[in-house]
Amino acid sequence: MITQLPIGQIIVITITSTVLGLGINAVRPEGIPLLAKELAVAEEIEYTTAEPRLLAITLDQALDLYQKGTIFVDAREPEYYQEGHIKGAWNFPFFLELVFKLDSLQGKDAPLVIYCSGDECGSSEDLAYELQAEGFNNLLVFKGGWTAWNISEHPIEP
Amino acid sequence: MITFAQRSVIALLCRVILGVILIYASIDKIVHPAEFAKAIGNYNVLPFGLENLMGIVLPILELLVGTCLVLGIMLDGSAIIAAGMMAIFIIALSQALLRGIDINCGCFKVTAENAGQQVGIRRIIEDCIFMGMAFMVLSRGERKWELYPKT
Repeated sequence: MITQLPIGQIIVITITSTVLGLGINAVRPEGIPLLAKELAVAEEIEYTTAEPRLLAITLDQALDLYQKGTIFVDAREPEYYQEGHIKGAWNFPFFLELVFKLDSLQGKDAPLVIYCSGDECGSSEDLAYELQAEGFNNLLVFKGGWTAWNISEHPIEP
Repeated sequence: MITFAQRSVIALLCRVILGVILIYASIDKIVHPAEFAKAIGNYNVLPFGLENLMGIVLPILELLVGTCLVLGIMLDGSAIIAAGMMAIFIIALSQALLRGIDINCGCFKVTAENAGQQVGIRRIIEDCIFMGMAFMVLSRGERKWELYPKT
């Protein structure tokens, strides 16, 4: 029998896991798409929007929003933030504090730019989804993040 | 010198401990698949959005392998898969560490209260120990305390 041999056992365990995993994912409400989708990149950024949105933005779009006074949220850990961040950007270690301050200052419909280290980090996107779940609906993820901003010599602090 | 019988007892201990760890590690990942998939994505090792597929299958594989190790079912295959998984985790963690990627580990818990946990050398050492335990199971002495296959 195939399961007497290690190779057979590996095949049986792997196939069973795949079938079970896909099956459970298909029927459960928390199921996720089989392939992760990248955030759509915004073509043109209107400052206000009637439709809820969660989009990726480029460096130029981020700069444009920055010059219009949009709040930037730094999604990195506080130690990275303290080393250097986009001038005026917010960073709160406690998520609920961020939610409360944003909501009381500008409500949930005003645009909000979120960034992390650069193209390869995911914390900006994670934070964007968490904020979306809290009802914020004008979320723009600046994918280039701190790296792209810093290289381009746009305003930073300290 | 470790005797044949002692090796069997060590292998039994290794397999139960490793099995329980794998089962424990899988539960939070199974409960929160989206968070786990994102955690995999943050390692930047998989192309084409494959992190979701990995996030769906890997926790179930962990659970199944853990259960097999604890119960003594298809031990050779389970131990090889466990060692293979640990090897992959070690590579993923090391490359993240070397590239200095700012990510959460996603090794045990993927929910917010543990989100600040960073990838570290400690995790790599842990996984090396787990891999060693898997090899202990593979090189066990007598094939006893096993449900299937019976020899």
